[in-house]
Amino acid sequence: MSDATQVAAAASSRDPGVGLAAVASLRGLLESLEELQVGNARRQGWSWQQIADALRVSRQAVHKKYRRYGL
Amino acid sequence: MFERFTVTARLAVVGAQEQACRRGDDRIRTEHLLLALYDVPDHLAGTVLDVLGADRAAVERAVDERRAGGRVSDAVALATLGIDLDEVRRQVEEAFGPGALERTRAAGAGRRRLGGHIPFDRATKKALELALREAVRLEHRHLGTEHLLLGLLQAEGAAGEILAERGIRLDATRTAVQEMGRHRRAG
Repeated sequence: MSDATQVAAAASSRDPGVGLAAVASLRGLLESLEELQVGNARRQGWSWQQIADALRVSRQAVHKKYRRYGL
Repeated sequence: MFERFTVTARLAVVGAQEQACRRGDDRIRTEHLLLALYDVPDHLAGTVLDVLGADRAAVERAVDERRAGGRVSDAVALATLGIDLDEVRRQVEEAFGPGALERTRAAGAGRRRLGGHIPFDRATKKALELALREAVRLEHRHLGTEHLLLGLLQAEGAAGEILAERGIRLDATRTAVQEMGRHRRAG
């Protein structure tokens, strides 16, 4: 963990503003990573069912979310 | 409700949409409409804003400051969880190439869906309603940018606050609109 990371972690304490902002940023990062991984899996010929199993969600959920991206 | 809008008022609404898009926002907010008012050619709201002393550069600065203010960057927010965003980015780019993370739709790239429109937020909808009410009140048949300005001054949202910070009040603006309106057509 870098110095900056430690300082930030120490500062977080119980301030809801800090905690909620962190959750929001984490959600954004999660969405970006999922999109990249799903896209990569599709390009490598994975079926929606295989992707859903790996993500531990239903096939419908992942298909509904990403089919509009043309993946 | 848009049938009474003048051409310039319509241009301002389109401009607000572009402002929202350019700033990566998922809603058209009052500050987008305010900035768009400056960009449409030859219209009453711009003249009134100039007369009342709110130039575009100052208003744009205020909009940018508000956006940045009170919001920590993702890197700082994630650091509070012990996540090093730079390191995550480095790993992702190793697998998917430079800028991969930022290029995702989730990160805001291509947020404007094809043929889709960015919706107005609640305050902006209210500002449009209030603009219509102003036109009726002033017995103007058309809804021009000057009414949009009067609507923004009464609605919640950043635009009204930014204008208020510059000492721009509803009464004075309404008077200016009426006086200038006598000399020229609504725009």
